[in-house]
Amino acid sequence: MSLLLQSIVLGVLLGGLYALLAAGLTLYFGVMRVVMIAHSAFLILAAYLAWWFSTETGIDPLVSLVATVPLFFLVGVGMQRLLIARLRPATMTMMSVLLTFAIALTIEGLLGYVFTGTQRRVRLSYGGGDFEVLGANIAVVKLIAFGLAAASLLALFLVLTRTKFGQALRATIQHPEAARLVGINTERIAGYGFGIGLATAAVGGTALSLDSTIYPSLHWHWIGPLMAIIVVGGLGSIPGAAIAAMVLGLGQSLLQIPLGTTWAQTFFYVALFLTLMLRPQGFFGGRLAQRF
Amino acid sequence: MKVPTTLRISAAAIVGSLALTGCISGGADDGGDDDDTIDIGISLPLTGDFSEPGKGVERGYEAWAAYVNENGGLLGKQVELTILDDQSNADRVASDYEKLINQDGVDLVFGPFSTRLVIPAAQVAQDYGFLFVEPAGAAPEVFEQGFDNLFYAAPAVADDHYDHLADYIEQMPAGQRPETAAVASMDDPFAMGTAYGLRDRLEEMGVRLVVDEVYPPNTTDFSSIAAKIANSDADIVIGGTQYQDAVNLIIALQQLDYQPKMAAFSTAPTNPEFPEAIGEQTEGILSPTGYTPEAPFPANQEFVEFYTEMHGNPPGEDEANAWSTGEVVAAAVEAVGCADPDPECQQELIDWLHENEVDTVVGPLSWDETGKPQGAHLIQQYVDGEIRIVLPEDQAEADIVPVKPEW
Repeated sequence: MSLLLQSIVLGVLLGGLYALLAAGLTLYFGVMRVVMIAHSAFLILAAYLAWWFSTETGIDPLVSLVATVPLFFLVGVGMQRLLIARLRPATMTMMSVLLTFAIALTIEGLLGYVFTGTQRRVRLSYGGGDFEVLGANIAVVKLIAFGLAAASLLALFLVLTRTKFGQALRATIQHPEAARLVGINTERIAGYGFGIGLATAAVGGTALSLDSTIYPSLHWHWIGPLMAIIVVGGLGSIPGAAIAAMVLGLGQSLLQIPLGTTWAQTFFYVALFLTLMLRPQGFFGGRLAQRF
Repeated sequence: MKVPTTLRISAAAIVGSLALTGCISGGADDGGDDDDTIDIGISLPLTGDFSEPGKGVERGYEAWAAYVNENGGLLGKQVELTILDDQSNADRVASDYEKLINQDGVDLVFGPFSTRLVIPAAQVAQDYGFLFVEPAGAAPEVFEQGFDNLFYAAPAVADDHYDHLADYIEQMPAGQRPETAAVASMDDPFAMGTAYGLRDRLEEMGVRLVVDEVYPPNTTDFSSIAAKIANSDADIVIGGTQYQDAVNLIIALQQLDYQPKMAAFSTAPTNPEFPEAIGEQTEGILSPTGYTPEAPFPANQEFVEFYTEMHGNPPGEDEANAWSTGEVVAAAVEAVGCADPDPECQQELIDWLHENEVDTVVGPLSWDETGKPQGAHLIQQYVDGEIRIVLPEDQAEADIVPVKPEW
């Protein structure tokens, strides 16, 4: 019984982290039809920056967010304007895979060059800390990561629904031509959208660095599950990605009890195949994905 | 007129191979005596997946060659290494050894790094009748291929790494022995070999196995495995681990407040990064090791001194296994008195190693007919914040802590 409860707690915490890591990925696709293979490479880059910051200064890695979030936003805007906007709209989705694949390799190579292939971990005084609630242990770092995920997803949600910029962004996602007709500068909006996506990678990577051992090629282990999450959730839908992340994270954690780790991991891909067979537009994305 | 391409290619191949045979026999004739160097051919994964350990092995080989050359060489000749990069690719490694033996006409070959590359390389060496001593390739598969030219230059294969710890647990009084065991291993022949060697010995002693998990190498979340282990509250936890998985699993176990009496993990704890990652909670963690610079074997002090002078830091396990590969081949060469590609000479070297024991920096080595070394690994434990040899007792630097302090 306590194992079940513990697994539910772990699953929810894991799902929250997945939601944060996948949020940017679905945003890029929504705004620009870009399949961003390099998203997880940017996550690892942010994790490395957090680790580097904390080992150099001895200050908590979370403080590095002050610099990495704006930095990643600018890099995102720059990347969209200088690279992705140059791709032909007709072949955008496919060519973006190639382009961002190259960017992922570049980041991995540079990380290996600068920080070597040695596996790193941020050392935190509260790294192994936990507290007990109703017989289940909750790790402090996992709770912080969950809190970061909840806060940034809420912020993202508010920006998208409550601000003028958010309206413009959603209009660009839903119907770029119509958005242009009502006077929205869709190119600039797309650049900012990309920047916001990358800024979530800064938050996600920092959350990741709190509770995992990082190395340059780690991003390949993440991109698959994250892609599965955004397809199940419906490409372009942030709430969809968040719900799918929660369901898949919880499912993975619970399936691990009877099936073991190897089979529990395939849950993501089973969900992906089922989604593509039964509801190719995803479970929450609806209208958007149908147009492709 | 059109000559079919295949015909042209085969004609070229025949001419080529004739020229090659000419070269080889020529090389053996005039190269054998006039030549005042012994050429050793090696292919290593200097780029790709295994580049980190591959470079370690390269440093070990180069240090050994420099040491031998400073001390009068081998059979009075200088040693020269030809090192190719196989990019961690199994096809590439086979063609590298083909090239080294056929085109470059090397006198001896040394093995590459890791099981996946050792097997194809050993096959090539076997085809040419070459002695094949290798520094890394401890998985059972290596010794199941029927090679009679292969020797693994390390103290023990994966299954036997924990033998000293198993012996120690076996002689504990019944009341103190662990009653339950939890095992989690990466799906990897080496990692599983180490963990299952200990697991099977414990089961023979009547220890109950309460968790037996396998996880794929790309696992990023260890909290669920940790939850299972914590829920079982096993007395001893055994991790068949590499590096990041061990660190992640240990922290996930700490987060669930699981306190085992014994904790044994392969590979990771002997890594200098490990205490940096885990902090003060390393106390009492056990790990087998094939090599430590502190090992008391006579040849080792000289090795550590020489290597440290050359590189500014003490050698690790990869460097030591490379060095001992050199020592093993050198011992055979000195005993038999030849070092050339001639199959007769190579066979004599092989036969000599099957019958003799060689003293190396990782201890005295001897092999069974499949090339499996007949030893066990030293067991190290974090005692007072430092990793020390605790088993076997005659080589121990510190007393083993039988009940692990809380982490």
